[in-house]
Amino acid sequence: MKMAGSENKKLIIEGLWHNNPVFKQVLGICSTLAVTNLVLNTMVMCFALVFTLSLSAATVSILRNFTPRNIRMMVETLIIAFYVIIVDVLLKAYWPEMSGNLGPYVGLIITNCIIMGRCEAYGNSNPPGKAFMDGLFNALGYSFVLLIIAVFRELFGMGTFLGFAVPYFSGPYWDKWIIMVMPPGAFFMLGIVVWVFKSIQMAKEDKSK
Amino acid sequence: MIRKKSWYPIVYMFCVTAVFSSVVIGLTRFTSERVEANEKLAFERAVLSVLPDVEAETMTRLQIHNKFTETIEEPDESSKGAYTAKKDGQTAAYVLPISGQGFWAPIKGVIGIETDGETITGIAFYEQNETPGLGAEITKAPFKNQFEGKVISSEDEPINFRRPGATLGDNEVHAVTGATQTSNRLERIINTELKKWLDQSAN
Repeated sequence: MKMAGSENKKLIIEGLWHNNPVFKQVLGICSTLAVTNLVLNTMVMCFALVFTLSLSAATVSILRNFTPRNIRMMVETLIIAFYVIIVDVLLKAYWPEMSGNLGPYVGLIITNCIIMGRCEAYGNSNPPGKAFMDGLFNALGYSFVLLIIAVFRELFGMGTFLGFAVPYFSGPYWDKWIIMVMPPGAFFMLGIVVWVFKSIQMAKEDKSK
Repeated sequence: MIRKKSWYPIVYMFCVTAVFSSVVIGLTRFTSERVEANEKLAFERAVLSVLPDVEAETMTRLQIHNKFTETIEEPDESSKGAYTAKKDGQTAAYVLPISGQGFWAPIKGVIGIETDGETITGIAFYEQNETPGLGAEITKAPFKNQFEGKVISSEDEPINFRRPGATLGDNEVHAVTGATQTSNRLERIINTELKKWLDQSAN
């Protein structure tokens, strides 16, 4: 039991930090750029990714002993698409405004390389419980980086947070950075975030040597 | 062993696809009515919101639908493609549907016009995918409220978009800052549809 606990802890730290999908594996960058100009949109996108990634990793893992190796990627794509469509359909039915805001990007989770990457790298060769944990924390690792980017983009670009006006930034003294709202703004923010986190990681590694 | 058989992958893939697809199909069918209702409701809400005496923002789904069926009549010959809002059996306003290509995706909306055929009572959009914070500002009150009371010009362009900060005439509104593309395209959409409507009315 203690063994399982420490293993889970390792999965958590790997997913969130050492092997973070965005700034270490540099995967899923396309969605990072597309949906991070409003914090609320980003939160929904992250939730969709957490749901899809953890469940598809677990499903791939459950089926791993029955799936012929030569068609495994086909099966993985099918499973991923299955969960993504569920999210998409539910959003369309119960939160149409958000579905409209995210447009095609929910559907594009299917092609988010983080998901296929984790299914291939981990889900394929580990039991369902562990695959689920790995997927969950990789998705959370992706989510927190996206949220950091979104908070700054919305604040600098629109002077709001979750749609509420922020003092000073929404006032006349703050000249709103229109580039932050445009897709290139995400490039700059992503670059800065990766730079900061990698520097911290590398500083730590140097110390431990 | 069964897994060594050459037909196994085909049968396996077939079964897996059948299982997952049927769940998805089931879910889609289960929610399809609601999805359709959502789309219809977005349109009905937009139509009601351009009428001067209706507070569409605060109404519930059911209230909107009832109000729409009670007061709005489908486009016919005499209204030249616009919906007509009735009040005590009289025509109270026209609601003209507009649509066209925006910057990213089609923009669809409605314009409310008084019975004189030239004073605008409001504008609303029920489908658009412009950049949040820039182009999507067209759906916000500061932009939309500008249209109230504007008078469609019968010469050259019915409605003109001017750069933000410019002094405005009777048929002019401010464009959205930082969203030149959306503004230009929206101006074109509005003018094309209004011209078409005016031409038909003239005949």
